[in-house]
Amino acid sequence: MIYRMSSLVALAVLASGCVATNYTLVEPGARAVAGLQVNATSGWNQAPPMSTPSMQKGAVLWTHDGPLLDQLIIIPGVADGEPLMKSSNKSAAMPLFKKDMLPNEIEELTESTFVKYFGEGNAVVTTKNLRPQRFGENRGVMFDVDATVSDSPKYRGTAGAFVANDKLYMMFFLGAVPHYFDKHAATATSVIQSAMLTGGSSTAATN
Amino acid sequence: MRQPRTVVLLACLLAYWPVFGAESETLDHRIPPGYEPVEAEDELGLWMEMREYEQALKQSALLVRDPGLNDYLQEIVCRVAAGYCKDFRVYLIRNPDFNASMTATGMMQVWTGLIVRANSTDEIAAVIGHEISHYTLLHSLATLRALKKKLATGTFVDIALILATGYGTGLGQTMAALSVMSFSREQETEADLLGVRLLAEAGYDPHASYGIWDKIIAEEEAAEVKREKPGAFGKTHPEAKLRAAYLKELVTARYGPPDAEAVADQRLLSVLNNNYMLLMEDQLDTNRYGRTKELLERHAALGVEPSLVRYFYGEMFRQRGSDGDRDLAKSAYLHSIELGKAPAKAYSNLGYLYLKAGDMESAKTYFVKYLEIDPDASDREMIEFYLED
Repeated sequence: MIYRMSSLVALAVLASGCVATNYTLVEPGARAVAGLQVNATSGWNQAPPMSTPSMQKGAVLWTHDGPLLDQLIIIPGVADGEPLMKSSNKSAAMPLFKKDMLPNEIEELTESTFVKYFGEGNAVVTTKNLRPQRFGENRGVMFDVDATVSDSPKYRGTAGAFVANDKLYMMFFLGAVPHYFDKHAATATSVIQSAMLTGGSSTAATN
Repeated sequence: MRQPRTVVLLACLLAYWPVFGAESETLDHRIPPGYEPVEAEDELGLWMEMREYEQALKQSALLVRDPGLNDYLQEIVCRVAAGYCKDFRVYLIRNPDFNASMTATGMMQVWTGLIVRANSTDEIAAVIGHEISHYTLLHSLATLRALKKKLATGTFVDIALILATGYGTGLGQTMAALSVMSFSREQETEADLLGVRLLAEAGYDPHASYGIWDKIIAEEEAAEVKREKPGAFGKTHPEAKLRAAYLKELVTARYGPPDAEAVADQRLLSVLNNNYMLLMEDQLDTNRYGRTKELLERHAALGVEPSLVRYFYGEMFRQRGSDGDRDLAKSAYLHSIELGKAPAKAYSNLGYLYLKAGDMESAKTYFVKYLEIDPDASDREMIEFYLED
């Protein structure tokens, strides 16, 4: 009965238009995402929060051809002791960000988070090509991601991350291989590399 | 005075006794080798669906195609299945959890997590024997028919078929579908009983049938994050403790006590050593440190290449990052290196530990060594950044 009541309430809220359920257009140009500024060199479609329940508050998912085929996720300001993504399952053992993480650990954090994101046991995620990268005045890292997911296309991607004010800022792109990764990798990478804090810099992931 | 838990366990054992008492003596395969359905429409439908599912499974990127690993499993299957050998196709799935499954058509899936958790080939054979028994006892068909009885006709029968076959669900979701239509406790017990017989007839140690469950229990107890719900295998099978208890009772009564001295299983060791990086990296990515530590302790006792086991101790401690873990990780990496067969990453991760501790000189020493060992390392640019910094 409780389930039925909450479903009815959810339907009523949706019908009232109080919750955004549609994709919204992200115009090309400088865009602000919760304390971060990125430069979108092309237009993107931003997914409604309801379709991204595992995303942290303030995080956004942009796509060109739909999240199954390509997705650019921007996660701003993950605090010390917090996971990159949420899970309603208390036994999910989500990996947590620690403010003193070094590049190799941020890479591992991302890898393990992706495994949980796709479903533990449903995906094998590997990373490579860890390299330094500047994000505005902050030093950070980039690396490449490969994800093999059960009953899904194979994904390839690129991630960028930096730590500022003891918080982790992460941007990553995943595209189905070969077509959708090749199609959007350049524009997604330019968005990732353009990321910078809107309010100055501090500690960096490569310190 | 008996503890309440012991009393409950004894009561459960007594409840099982009729099944593994007189009935277990007469329990036998219900189909001959080479069996194929010819008449029953529902069974023919089940086979058709499963054959289509198997075609899809063959394309899965999560299949482990390493010939050594696949040959190893195929040998076990054929030895346990004996005359039924040709009825089975084994697919090894890259999944760090513990599971195996069987369809009505003889398509067997084994997850890599089973290999990581077994202490012997006999324990892997025990799980395989159990799955083979589900097949020869026609459990999938019986379950489908039981489900059909419960549901209305028409669309619901199709749903029942999907649930029963796993067709139309993801590889990983197949187990979830199986859990919905799970085998009955009686069927599971039947598969255990026939499985033990097949195990013994194939010359494997029947005591392995409960040994594998003892390992699962130990791992669950060592877990830092307990599972909210049991895994797929736990859901479709009787509780591990109860299962281990009744199997121990049965096997000891029928075959006598286990051998006092366990002999190292060179074949399993070779399989583990050759695939240890892949198997344990997948385990590490689960972020389940208590379980990983338990597995490492077991692998160390088993005789898996010590350099590799120490390396993964280092990985586990470093990634867990609790108080004192950095020192433990450092010691484990150094030990791995000292033993002579450390992966190149032992050097770079040791370098990062020194970097974190502010010891740049030691960090650079290990970073340099890392690049000497692996000059084509994909993170060379990152390491060179620190060397130049």
